[in-house]
Amino acid sequence: MPIGGRKVPPRAVEKETATVASSISGREVELPASWNRMFEPRVLTGTGPDGFDALAGMPGAESLEWCYGCGKCVPVCPVDLVGEYAPRKLHRKVQTGTDLTADSDLWLCTTCGNCLRVCPKEVDMIQIMPAVRESALTSGGTVPGELQDVFEKTFRYGNALGENPRRRAQWARSAGVPVRVLPSDPGPVDVLFYVEDYWSYHPRGQDAARAFARVATALGIDWAILGPEEKTLGDSQRLAGEKGLFDALVEDVTATLAKYEFARIVTPDPHGFNALKKEYPKRGHIFEALHYTQLLAPLVSQVNWAKELDLTVTFHDPCYLGRHNGEYDAPRTLINAIPGVRLVEMGRCRENGYCCGGGGGGMWLDGFTRDLTTERLSERRVREAAQTGAEMLVVCCPYEVSRFEDAAKSTGNGHLKVRDIIELIDEAMGLAADA
Amino acid sequence: MSSQTVAVIGGGPGGLRAAHAITEIGGQVVLIEQREFLGGTPIAENYAGLTPSGEPAEPQIRAMIEAVTAHPAADVRLSSQVTALAGEPGAFTLTVAGADGDQTIECGSIVIATGFGHFDPGRETQMYGYYEYPDVITLPDLEAMLKTHTVVRPSNGEPPERICFIQCVGSRDRHIGNEYCSKVCCGVASKEAIEIRQLLPGSKVYIFYIDMRMYGYWENEIYWPAQEKHRVQYVKGMITEVLAKGDRLLVRGEDTTMGRPMELLMDLVVLSVGMEPSAGTRQMAGVLGVAQNRFGFIDAVGGPLDTVSTSRKGIFACGAALGPADLEDTVSSAAAAAMKAFGCVRANATATAG
Repeated sequence: MPIGGRKVPPRAVEKETATVASSISGREVELPASWNRMFEPRVLTGTGPDGFDALAGMPGAESLEWCYGCGKCVPVCPVDLVGEYAPRKLHRKVQTGTDLTADSDLWLCTTCGNCLRVCPKEVDMIQIMPAVRESALTSGGTVPGELQDVFEKTFRYGNALGENPRRRAQWARSAGVPVRVLPSDPGPVDVLFYVEDYWSYHPRGQDAARAFARVATALGIDWAILGPEEKTLGDSQRLAGEKGLFDALVEDVTATLAKYEFARIVTPDPHGFNALKKEYPKRGHIFEALHYTQLLAPLVSQVNWAKELDLTVTFHDPCYLGRHNGEYDAPRTLINAIPGVRLVEMGRCRENGYCCGGGGGGMWLDGFTRDLTTERLSERRVREAAQTGAEMLVVCCPYEVSRFEDAAKSTGNGHLKVRDIIELIDEAMGLAADA
Repeated sequence: MSSQTVAVIGGGPGGLRAAHAITEIGGQVVLIEQREFLGGTPIAENYAGLTPSGEPAEPQIRAMIEAVTAHPAADVRLSSQVTALAGEPGAFTLTVAGADGDQTIECGSIVIATGFGHFDPGRETQMYGYYEYPDVITLPDLEAMLKTHTVVRPSNGEPPERICFIQCVGSRDRHIGNEYCSKVCCGVASKEAIEIRQLLPGSKVYIFYIDMRMYGYWENEIYWPAQEKHRVQYVKGMITEVLAKGDRLLVRGEDTTMGRPMELLMDLVVLSVGMEPSAGTRQMAGVLGVAQNRFGFIDAVGGPLDTVSTSRKGIFACGAALGPADLEDTVSSAAAAAMKAFGCVRANATATAG
């Protein structure tokens, strides 16, 4: 380097690591320095239809081959934002010789459905993923251990957490209102409240379940639960590839439901709701199913509010309530009805809502995906929520409270509180035990 | 033969459609074809099926030929070449060299339907080894094989297992001078790929492309079925070179989606050659004195709303004489040119009568 007539030879400094920021996406990637210095391209030699031949034998997986590479799926794929993914890339990997059943990519898709929303060729990951995963499960492909563990727990205990089925209604004891449990108190009921796993067992889910109990009772809803007879509806297990387990659960669940007389099934879990709306009818079991926000939204005018909350909140659309089943308004109706609550939307909301990472089996794969992505989807989402300036992230899916509370802490956004909508309603109605 | 006659030069799909159209609206036509048969490139080059429908070419073209030859108002001159033009619009005199020596034809207006030629892939910067390797062929070479329902490797007569098409050969290329897109090759290659998959179900068929240009209904009529039903593998990325490897061909290029080089062995490589003005088109432009564009096609001077008028009054052009065109374009512009040419002689007749 010439400096005022002096030649100074360049000095090479090798750093231990380097951070590279993309000028396009803004995404930062950390690289060991040696990566920067030399690499040679790997030549593709295996391009061909063979991978698609295999997929053609898995009902539901055919449409991956239809991809014409437009790439519209890539910017809306939540996994691509934290790694190298998206259906377009999967198509190309399969075309160039990757066996999906033996590849870690098979387990990254959360079946959030945002790619299908924008795909001109209707490449349907919601069908492809369970089909190929089922094949991986039955043909000895590579299946993450933590997922196997959840399948076994679900099979053995009827819930993904491996909890004692007899303690499924334990939460109700401290609800502060009597909760009718059908097996011990049979007879017709209007609303069968299908609590599902995380509101039954997870401590933060139980908070929400108790809030629901108080709100439903205060609104005079005639409701009851199945208690120890309830098993998970199993939709996420299905999407994670365990079709056999799902079919067995459908048998068990419908046999239990057949014993009782109820008008409607209401559930807080968008995944269970999706199963009741789309999968149970395919097997001949048709119920009137509602998400709890759909039950309560028409009743907001009857609510006696006890106090103003003075909160700025943002709302996360659950993929399986919103994109998969078209319900965007019921949760917002409830949020906007709560006195003193101001809703600010995140950039990615409603049809374009960003996935929390819990769907399609992702709930049970956080350990597995840790090495394959730069951060959890829930962490990415919490950052977005914090950027709105809201002091609270409001949700209505049982997976999300725990996911986002963890993510708020790990991303340094501990000030961002996470609540289910029902908890806010409970509080504003003055019903909450600690109110 | 008089100034009430329209002369159509070229007996391919465009010329046949133009000639037939003129008889349909009550005109007199003389159709001049340099070959000893009608039908043009689809017949001369042994096309198997028409794009996009894939219907057999020969019966379709034969029907067009018969519509003209059977009509009393149509005078067909085969093995005839126009060598000179004299006169004015409304009273042209063409000198035509035929088997029986020079003749003159009086006509009021002229339609040029002299079409295109296939790009010669041995030319200039093309390095795919077309003249080097017997198993490197072109779209029309494959058409001729498909016409006999026998697709084999020319080197050994065996059916190929792995076949690839390389798009944009001789098109979109400044080196070669053909900067235009030839418009039909994406559709034709995909149609041929479907036909191969039907003929040889065990085969693997690839199409390497820069971008697939399947405009209009070709998208859903050819491209999507080729991919979704016939399992043709579309790979975005061009092949740069073809190398011999054993008794197979190694194609090398960049997979632009993956940003990685690719090397694949093929049994048969099909070059999707583009369109250039035919020798006849170049010659007629000179003889008739109509302007050509810088690629040698006849210049359509009327802008987008008049696609058939040339630089010379009373002379019109249609089809691939004007530039890359598929059959649908060709018959449409042929009918438009026929209407213009007939309008010319009618206006002339009215003026004379008045």
